[in-house]
Amino acid sequence: MNFDLDTDQRDAAAGAREFFTGQASPADARRALDGAPLQPGRTALADVGFLGITVPEECGGAGAGEVDLAVVAEQAGAVLAGPSLVTAGRAAVLLAGQPDLLAALADGSRAFAVLDGPPGGSAPSIDAADADLLLALDGDALVVGEGEATAGTPMDATRGLASVRLTSRRVLAADAGPLWTRARQVAGVVLAAEDLGAAARAVEMGIGYARERQAFGRAIGSYQAVKHALVDSWVGVEQLRSLVWWAAWAADRAPQDLPLAASAASAFAAETLERAAGTCIQVHGGIGFTWEHDAHLYWRRAKVDRLLLGDEAEHLDAVAGLVLDGALTR
Amino acid sequence: MDFEDTPEEAAYRAEVRSLLEEHAAELVHMDSGEEGTAGSRTEELALRRTQRVLAEAGLVGVAWDTAHGGRGGTLAQQSIVHQELARARVPALINHIGLGMCAPTVIAHGSQQQRDRYLPRLLRAEDVWCQLFSEPASGSDLAALRTTAVREGDGWVVNGQKVWTTLAHVADFGILLTRTDPARPKHAGLTMFVVDMHAPGVEVRPLKQMGGQSGFNEVFFTDVHIPDSERLGEPGEGWRVALTTLLNERVAVGGGGTDLGSSVESLAQLAAERMPALGHDRQVLARQALGRAVVAALANRYTGYRRYTAISQGGLPGPEASAGKLAGTASAKLIADLGVRLLGDDALYMGTPDGDRWQRTMAGLPGLAIAGGTDEVLRNIVGERVLGLPPEPREDKHRPFSEAAATRQTGAMA
Repeated sequence: MNFDLDTDQRDAAAGAREFFTGQASPADARRALDGAPLQPGRTALADVGFLGITVPEECGGAGAGEVDLAVVAEQAGAVLAGPSLVTAGRAAVLLAGQPDLLAALADGSRAFAVLDGPPGGSAPSIDAADADLLLALDGDALVVGEGEATAGTPMDATRGLASVRLTSRRVLAADAGPLWTRARQVAGVVLAAEDLGAAARAVEMGIGYARERQAFGRAIGSYQAVKHALVDSWVGVEQLRSLVWWAAWAADRAPQDLPLAASAASAFAAETLERAAGTCIQVHGGIGFTWEHDAHLYWRRAKVDRLLLGDEAEHLDAVAGLVLDGALTR
Repeated sequence: MDFEDTPEEAAYRAEVRSLLEEHAAELVHMDSGEEGTAGSRTEELALRRTQRVLAEAGLVGVAWDTAHGGRGGTLAQQSIVHQELARARVPALINHIGLGMCAPTVIAHGSQQQRDRYLPRLLRAEDVWCQLFSEPASGSDLAALRTTAVREGDGWVVNGQKVWTTLAHVADFGILLTRTDPARPKHAGLTMFVVDMHAPGVEVRPLKQMGGQSGFNEVFFTDVHIPDSERLGEPGEGWRVALTTLLNERVAVGGGGTDLGSSVESLAQLAAERMPALGHDRQVLARQALGRAVVAALANRYTGYRRYTAISQGGLPGPEASAGKLAGTASAKLIADLGVRLLGDDALYMGTPDGDRWQRTMAGLPGLAIAGGTDEVLRNIVGERVLGLPPEPREDKHRPFSEAAATRQTGAMA
């Protein structure tokens, strides 16, 4: 057993951190709420190769695994980058055996989104607001097409949420149920990885402020009430990291464990990011409640992500169902 | 990254499994997650025999250096043995405190003579060990302890009282933290010893815990003589020695990815039996609780595996292990709470003819959140040593202990 990233994965994480820190920020997420384009944006993500991490090499991708995608997604989440690597990871699974479409995904020439819910009027779906090519499940068939998007006022604009009515559709695979399920589980893992990065960053912000801010003659981080809240958030982040890595590893190497691991990671990610973002605001006090401060942008991410790709209740129920069927004792 | 056994690990697992089957008749077996408390002489002897048989089969001290009587194996092998013992329903080894905390302290700070004398017998549970740290007036504030050791001739004379001492009622030896210089600040005046629990002047009184068991004790020391050769580390260095014990404790308790309390697998089994009898709405709620408990337990288990990996790659057990005990305690509570709730009307009793293991586990968990570092102390450790948050003011830290203790007493009277 070896439960750690290898050297290449560490290097990839460091490179991704540098890229995302230079190309996107919470300030961009704030501007996106006023209609500015997402950062880094699809072209920059394609150019650096992040849209094709799990796309086969012969289609222009890196041919790497979900663990590799997860360590990059964590760094994307830390700065609230958009569009989401969830879409890239999910589409790469769905488009297996479609070399032209995979190439268009990896090189960013088409803007993909994967629709949740019926193609005649989907649920709000990640990156659908700016997509020009949509993947959906129509009955048991995987279809690709174009559509009309409608969206409400965004809570977190970086998610690019919109509901879509497909206006054209072409069948890519007839019996795509199991493929669709696997793609959604992989998407859940990548979403959890982005949440991991966002939660870790929110905790860092809280720690930094608690070290500096003085009240009653000393740093507020010295008070147990503040310190313990930050510790609980940090412990959650480290526990989430373990579930994300396990789930990503399962996607690559132990497909029989993926349903349990993906739902465990998804459920825990929702709770962890909400707590981290909420704690971040609370530790900052009044300044953390302002539009100018970054804290609310992580809070917005938390409040949206907790409902995407199945909420906590759905995933906890899935975990229970799998465990009652003997998933822990096989 | 690879969660599967390597071919070598798989072969080792098969070997462990067959050894446990071969010796099954000589081992104590209990429900998963249960812990032998050595509550009776018969149980104590059976638990000692269990460890001896396992030691002779090469399954104790797996990752210890061969120079100390261990097998020189890897932490992965140690972890495999833990998993297979749990699978075979063998309870925690009677000398788990000796193995997890006392022995690492003797190895790090003892003389060669002490290592040779104590470690082989400790491994075979010929001697059971306990850890004599907490006192009535110093629990979380361990360095404020008052048990004294005073130099006399070629040794030391100890007077004072320890409390919450697990296994003292069956222990043969203990590691004992004492105050040897009250004129120095509290951390600087401490010295650690190995004490013979059968020496004249050592009196052990079992304490009855809230759940009814008696796993821990009060220990009184009245003019107990300890030879200077039983000192661990230099006089005044006791705090540094104690930190070795405490770091190992937090790895041993919850840091290595094993479930504390009842295992999540045993909860899953109970839930599969009991769930069908519940009405629909109750099932929905129970499934949410089951999901939450499983996710918490798996998160902590895999975090423990990460810590094991880090240590096996040359890292030291660090303050991060405190987070494992925190999270392990929290998930143990989720598991036990649902376990009891699933018993239906039986949940109203401490036990029924069908058994009492879930109630007993539930009643043990308040202790888990206190023993080996309270949740609050662990949060301070993580906050200060891992996250770099400033410490709380500790106004007694730099004053002579005798002066700080006097102030405390005056304050108590005022």
